[in-house]
Amino acid sequence: MWNWDYTLLILPQILEALKITVSATFVAFAVALVVGLILTLARRSDFKPLSLFAQGFIEFVRSTPLLVQLYFIFYVLPEHGLSLSPFIAGVMGLGLHYSTYLSEVYRGGIESIPPGQWEAAKALNFTPLETWRKIILPQSIPPVIPVMGNYLITMFKETPVLSAITLVEIMQTAKMLGSHSFRYLEAFTIVGVLFLVLSYSSSLMVRRLEVRLNLR
Amino acid sequence: MSVPLKVIYNEESTKSIGNDLRKVAVQPIVNYSNISKSYGDLQVLRNIDLDIAPGEKVALIGPSGSGKTTLARLLMTLEEPTSGTIEVDGEMLWHQKTNGKLVKANEKHLHKVRGNIGMVFQHFNLFPHMTILRNVMEAPRNVLGLSKEEAMERAVTMLKQVGLANKIDAYPAQLSGGQKQRVAIARALVMRPKVMIFDEPTSALDPELVGEVLEVIKAIAAEGEMAMLLITHEMDFARDVADRILFFDQGRIIEQGSPKRIFNNPESERLQTFLSRFNRH
Repeated sequence: MWNWDYTLLILPQILEALKITVSATFVAFAVALVVGLILTLARRSDFKPLSLFAQGFIEFVRSTPLLVQLYFIFYVLPEHGLSLSPFIAGVMGLGLHYSTYLSEVYRGGIESIPPGQWEAAKALNFTPLETWRKIILPQSIPPVIPVMGNYLITMFKETPVLSAITLVEIMQTAKMLGSHSFRYLEAFTIVGVLFLVLSYSSSLMVRRLEVRLNLR
Repeated sequence: MSVPLKVIYNEESTKSIGNDLRKVAVQPIVNYSNISKSYGDLQVLRNIDLDIAPGEKVALIGPSGSGKTTLARLLMTLEEPTSGTIEVDGEMLWHQKTNGKLVKANEKHLHKVRGNIGMVFQHFNLFPHMTILRNVMEAPRNVLGLSKEEAMERAVTMLKQVGLANKIDAYPAQLSGGQKQRVAIARALVMRPKVMIFDEPTSALDPELVGEVLEVIKAIAAEGEMAMLLITHEMDFARDVADRILFFDQGRIIEQGSPKRIFNNPESERLQTFLSRFNRH
């Protein structure tokens, strides 16, 4: 049954791997934030080919499983001369996948801006770029920060799938520990508890943020 | 979207009908030539010809939905005319010449010509995420490229003029409607446009706040050099401020003239009916 000595023995190794999990989450989230915004703007572009491309990309990525996308990036791209480390391939795959969801979040924020704001910006002769930077985005992003926070948590919980492309994050570490000692209970329990503690505390933070933003 | 182009020659536009007040020698600051605007089957402006002289204050009156606001929005480039041309200070607004041919203006051209025009909206449209000061100094800073100090100085001067120098650190949500509209006026004025549009600036205000906004606009009008296009339902205000009144109905200018003429001797039946509604109150 549960062995505390063994638990304490493997804990440092799992915590070490947690660093990879957490950094993969944040880097992938950053990718998703940047690409998501680019997709949103591209989709709104007057230049038809660009908006069609963005729309097609979003539909394609959403309609295919993340695991397939990861395999493609990690195993197929090298055949065409693009070899990526498990970490880079993982954050690219996870980030691109979630960029399509974050693009929807940005869109919601942008569409909530009243037309009068666009008109005022035009009447003051702001360029389109200045209008986005100074008027539209600063108003559309703060209200959707909590939703973005929830996606960060979702992405965090999604990171074990990166073990499929040999990234040694906590799930992969637990699997390796298990197959060395034939004890799976402790390793996977630790992993589960770590996810629970981190996700739950983050979601509490997001909720507090939401309350604060609503008060403004 | 392609716009059917109509070239209107200057000889024609200078003798356009009805501009009885205008001295012919002055180049108009705004010239509408044969402007029409439709939304699908609905035609909101029908072949409008209108010249506004530099510094002239023109008030547009008429029932809601008569096309007054649309006429102003075409000038602010918020909407595109279906046909006809608009000139601002001698330059085409919606069109430009490329290789001798008149084509639809690109954003760069619009940006250049639009700089002559300012607008105050019915619903203020202040930027809620910026302080009052930033609302007013953001455009001079970014669009005119002034230094931070210059932009701030101009903005503060403007806010003093509308009586809100003590509110510079407040946010729009903390102001009354009248104060918001005065900020919006300062924000438009700080750009020093040659033509300023006021689109029903007091229609969204509580009755007791209308006066303070009208006073500010009157004071600006009295300074003189800027042309104004005033869309208003405040007849006394129009009479006091305007050099010329245009009466709009169903997308046409039905009648125009000096305030005295329009209010004392309305010729058309439609204008008489329209004015009688105001006099009854």
